[in-house]
Amino acid sequence: MSEVAERAVQNLRRRDARDKLMGRTRYTIDRGDRGMLHAALLRSDIASGKIRRLDVSRAAAMPGVRAIATAADAPGRAGLGIADHPLFATDIVRYCGEPIAAVAADTEAQAKAALAAIAVEIEPLPAVLGMAHALAEDAPLVHPDWPSYELLHAGGKRGGNVAWEASVDRGDVDAVFARDDVTIVETDFEVCRQNHVSFEPRATVAHFEDGRFHIESSTQVPWTVRNTTATVLGIPPSAVRVTVPPVGGGFGLKFDCALEPFAAILARKSGRPVRLVNSRREEMETCLFRENAQIRIRSAIAPDGTIAGREAVVLMDCGAYGGEQVFLTTMTAHTLGGNYKLGAARIVSRAVYTNTAPNGAFRACNGVYNTFALERHTDEIAARIGTAPDAFRRLNVIGDGDLGATGQVFEGEVLRPMMAKMETLRAQTPVAPLSDGRLHGRATTVGTWFVFTGPSAATVNMNADGSATLVTSGVEIGSGSTQQALPQIVAAILGLSPEQVTVRAADTDAAGYDVGVGGGRTTVSLGAASRTAALDVRTKLLKVASDMLEAASEDLVLADGRIEIAGAKGSGLSIAEVASHAQLHLGPIAGTGAFAAANTPAMAGCCAGHFIEALDIPVFAVHDCDIAVDPDTGHVEVLAYRVVQDVGKALNPRAIHGQVQGGVVQGLGYALHEEADVGPTGQIRQNSFETYRVPLAGDVVPVAIELHEGAPSIGPLGTKGAGEVPILNVGATIACAVANATGKAVHALPLTPPKVLALLLDSAPPPRFAHIKDRHIDNRLPPDF
Amino acid sequence: MSPLSSPAIIVPETLADALASLAELGADGTPLAGGTWIMRAPLRDEPMAHAYVALGRIAELRRIKISAKRVEIGASATHAMLAAALERCDDLAALRNAAAQSANPAIRHAATVGGNLCARRFPAPDLATALLGLDASVEVADAAGSERLTMEAFLAARGALGPGRIVTKVIVERTGHRSAHSRLPLRKAGDYPVAIVSVAVRLDDADRIVEARIAVGSVEGVPRRWTALEEALAGQPIAAVDVAAIARPRADRFTGRDGVEAPGWYRVHVLPVLVGRAFAALTSAAT
Amino acid sequence: MTIRLTLNGEEREFAAPPMTPLIDVLRDDCHLTGAKPVCREGFCGACMVLVDGIPTVSCLTPIALVEGGKVETVEGLTSADTPPPVQAALEAHDAVQCGMCFPGMVVSLTHLTQPGECDASRAAIKAGLTGHVCRCTGYERIVDAALAVMEGRQ
Ligand SMILES: Cc1cc2nc3c(=O)[nH]c(=O)nc-3n(C[C@H](O)[C@H](O)[C@H](O)COP(=O)(O)OP(=O)(O)OC[C@H]3O[C@@H](n4cnc5c(N)ncnc54)[C@H](O)[C@@H]3O)c2cc1C
Ligand code: FES
Repeated sequence: MSEVAERAVQNLRRRDARDKLMGRTRYTIDRGDRGMLHAALLRSDIASGKIRRLDVSRAAAMPGVRAIATAADAPGRAGLGIADHPLFATDIVRYCGEPIAAVAADTEAQAKAALAAIAVEIEPLPAVLGMAHALAEDAPLVHPDWPSYELLHAGGKRGGNVAWEASVDRGDVDAVFARDDVTIVETDFEVCRQNHVSFEPRATVAHFEDGRFHIESSTQVPWTVRNTTATVLGIPPSAVRVTVPPVGGGFGLKFDCALEPFAAILARKSGRPVRLVNSRREEMETCLFRENAQIRIRSAIAPDGTIAGREAVVLMDCGAYGGEQVFLTTMTAHTLGGNYKLGAARIVSRAVYTNTAPNGAFRACNGVYNTFALERHTDEIAARIGTAPDAFRRLNVIGDGDLGATGQVFEGEVLRPMMAKMETLRAQTPVAPLSDGRLHGRATTVGTWFVFTGPSAATVNMNADGSATLVTSGVEIGSGSTQQALPQIVAAILGLSPEQVTVRAADTDAAGYDVGVGGGRTTVSLGAASRTAALDVRTKLLKVASDMLEAASEDLVLADGRIEIAGAKGSGLSIAEVASHAQLHLGPIAGTGAFAAANTPAMAGCCAGHFIEALDIPVFAVHDCDIAVDPDTGHVEVLAYRVVQDVGKALNPRAIHGQVQGGVVQGLGYALHEEADVGPTGQIRQNSFETYRVPLAGDVVPVAIELHEGAPSIGPLGTKGAGEVPILNVGATIACAVANATGKAVHALPLTPPKVLALLLDSAPPPRFAHIKDRHIDNRLPPDF
Repeated sequence: MSPLSSPAIIVPETLADALASLAELGADGTPLAGGTWIMRAPLRDEPMAHAYVALGRIAELRRIKISAKRVEIGASATHAMLAAALERCDDLAALRNAAAQSANPAIRHAATVGGNLCARRFPAPDLATALLGLDASVEVADAAGSERLTMEAFLAARGALGPGRIVTKVIVERTGHRSAHSRLPLRKAGDYPVAIVSVAVRLDDADRIVEARIAVGSVEGVPRRWTALEEALAGQPIAAVDVAAIARPRADRFTGRDGVEAPGWYRVHVLPVLVGRAFAALTSAAT
Repeated sequence: MTIRLTLNGEEREFAAPPMTPLIDVLRDDCHLTGAKPVCREGFCGACMVLVDGIPTVSCLTPIALVEGGKVETVEGLTSADTPPPVQAALEAHDAVQCGMCFPGMVVSLTHLTQPGECDASRAAIKAGLTGHVCRCTGYERIVDAALAVMEGRQ
């Protein structure tokens, strides 16, 4: 297969680039239809309250109004782990921006006018706006009825405002911390939310035809949209078809069902296609943000500089509904618990309900801030014991045969050789010394991420003209995986050029189940399914060819669109000839493939409440930067940024480089510019491009990149996901470099100029969370809840 | 159609017609220049006006007249026009740089001097701050006639020009000052500055400061002069003076506004640094 | 109000309320969906079009202010089958990801890469792109492509 792998490697261009550059690509927001209605949502303007009255009769009589939907139209509750989320606020409003009613009208202006005519009275209730409040003894419950919710995944502990709790206990942590020869280092960290700012907002067009729904949507997860829409509407999932036009950016924002069910209900009620698109303000205020989090890490360092024990508490604000954070509690064990060998470990990760907009998934979810906390903590340890940070890391990073936090056995020596490569890369890309009074800082950090494997399906149809069609539920969100890696894999196996492989846009009626595009899984999971499907086709083609050529299958080779007898070029047939022969005499050739997670084991009994106990495909990253801090204003300028990334096998190096550059820049936004937080009334304060600052061209540098190949992977042709991980340790690296430049302990992100200046002036006390208790056990729900 | 769509618009070709239309519309009429502020009214939860009178087609309002004595800038001149017109006026470097560095290229081609001066509740106007430092005067006209106001008087009444009145031009006397503009966006460029310091300084033959005018924008709701610092700098030799050090104890004359993007203390804290940078630009420009 | 303008070289007439943002007329009435309304506040550049040759944010431009003018959208810049230099360079540099910002980028770069508009340096190009946000690519390949066009190589 290795020769197939080599053939698959190429810097294939994207087939969608030209139309995108000519303004011809039709994203969901660009789609229209005759007779299409425009919908709008009535959203709550308070954070917590009881709906006393909701009267839509006056709105229903407004000009152009064709349908109105409320909670009565959507009886079901959905969720991840726990079914806690109704489509519309039902009796109770839990966050600013929560939908209360939906209107479809001939024009958008009419729909909005009708919203204003809906009579709604909400009696304010006390609101829980932060996790400190949520975890207080006497806190109001965001979900008073939490015990009655249907559980969709067994094992997590829940209670009160704790939506979900996952924990790891490996070894006797108390005994380690009680030793008198260990050095104990403890740090608290805090991060705010991050908005994806995908350029295309969440958008959908729904149709109701022949008793079924057809939903076109800007989503990363067509199957989740299908299933969730069915759940909340109380209909069979087979009644929903989801297709996905090109998606104008996702980054995790579109990893959940969003506007689709509203449009679906309105389409059914009106009998007309219905378009629903979030305004930018709605996007900013109800974005499924990367969650704000609070973290405490405590480590016991042995005299030989190894980490004898570590305990941590990670609080993740899930907002008003559990959503992705319920799942993400799982990730703490692998991110905060990653990178280093630990003698004993005890980690609890809790998703906490608040009366704020629900949070969600965002590129390297959870990993970004846990890596920040872990790496800053690591630098503090090194400083405390008087070791160079790089030396401490080289000693302690996970290597071949080492145990991870959950007791998983890691294979292969990966991080140490990557660190060595980084040293070389640094030496090749020096920065000039500063002579303008600014403070120079540098840092190297490591990070552990994974590929979210999960089920995927693929079909390859071999066409009589010698081309192939790849049918999957893979969505093109901009990363290029479905445009580059997938056709490259199929083409390499079939001896075609990637241009001869047509890739069908996602359609749940055409392709089998897929978890969705996210978690760096497209090349791996869809790639593996596509590979199997292509191999199936190849076997069938060879069989037909062997009959036609009267040669044994094993003696045949596929290359350059032909099937030849080995060693006798020109002796064989074109693939088109074989395929058309097969079509005529045996029926068209097609192949199918499927993939599922390997379910790599953890150590028995050390995980509770986890969705993933061990990583099927770990992915490692080493980042490094040089920065300049302006001591007068707190501005941080990035002078150089370097990445060594574990990619397994790079099928399209140029595409991966593009992902690294883009991911690092998003990380620079998180580290330095992007700030989203909840104001005193429960509203997100940064509701525009003016107030939410993403990096601009002038703020970034070209990233120096080295791809590390050869680490073990179960991915097809040895690949790993490469698009998600580049953002992983940017916050960590910048934070460590700012600490290095200023001599100040950095315990929070982002490092905006005012925050950095406050650090320099010692005017911002480091976070110290009173609601995180000293005894680890006091941060956990009682055993048998 | 979006709810923006209902207002009416009049696009006069002459100033007299514009003033007549505004007079007729009274409180219902609002001048429209580049539109870059007005079109964002819905985002600020502000209503649109009933009717707009566009000022962009009026040739005399777009004119920039430059003589050795003064510069007269029509209210409808855009930032880009102004930056280009002042290319050789080094004494007005503050205004030129304010025009060339604010916002982004497309906005600079649309947004006007008049809009920058008149946008209500706009705390971070680069041009207005620079013009304050340059001690410009503002010509305000209505159908009945016109009057001139100092920048200070104009800013005190900003947003309260009264129905039917518009800014027609801004006049900057060239009095041998040197000037510099120092702004602090949070990113490299492209956002509103969290603080602005714009200075104009006249020196005697011995390079001592005869007069320093220091305008501060974005720190409080409306730009204003930093008189305590101006007084302290008078008589100092420009080459030797540590402006930032003199400024530091005098920064508490400002009460910084807390905003989503930056807290008030930060805006005040960076003022001495910005004033230092502006003076450094003055001296480096002179050599 | 009836508005007359030259749109991508064609004389057009619209009946639209005068304060309607140009972008809405382009997208809703002319079905030119290349320009994207992303922020509607002048910061992102995704709605950029040329008005009388100058890059203009169509989200903040009332349709009445372009009466009699010449408007070119990304579709108008690329009506030929072979892509013009800017688009060709962006394609050759594999710069595109989700693609939503590119119609606006292409409009500004078309202007910026004209002789005399901008120095052929990374810093100058980045300054010229201040009003454009791209959330996917991290910008550098866009700058590479612009430099290539300015230096006359592809
Ligand atoms: C993305 C972006 C970034 C920006 N960054 C900056 C920056 O960094 N620094 C900066 O200074 N500015 C900046 N601006 C511009 C600024 O905020 C205003 O939008 C602009 O100055 C308004 O000018 P205009 O010509 O578009 O005014 P309009 O929007 O047309 O009008 C603004 C107000 O002024 C009134 N008005 C206009 N002309 C007159 C007149 N002649 N007489 C009386 N009243 C009049 C109008 O009635 C209206 O109330 C930025 C704008 C945007 C969109
Ligand atoms: S939509 Fe016009 S600048 Fe963003």
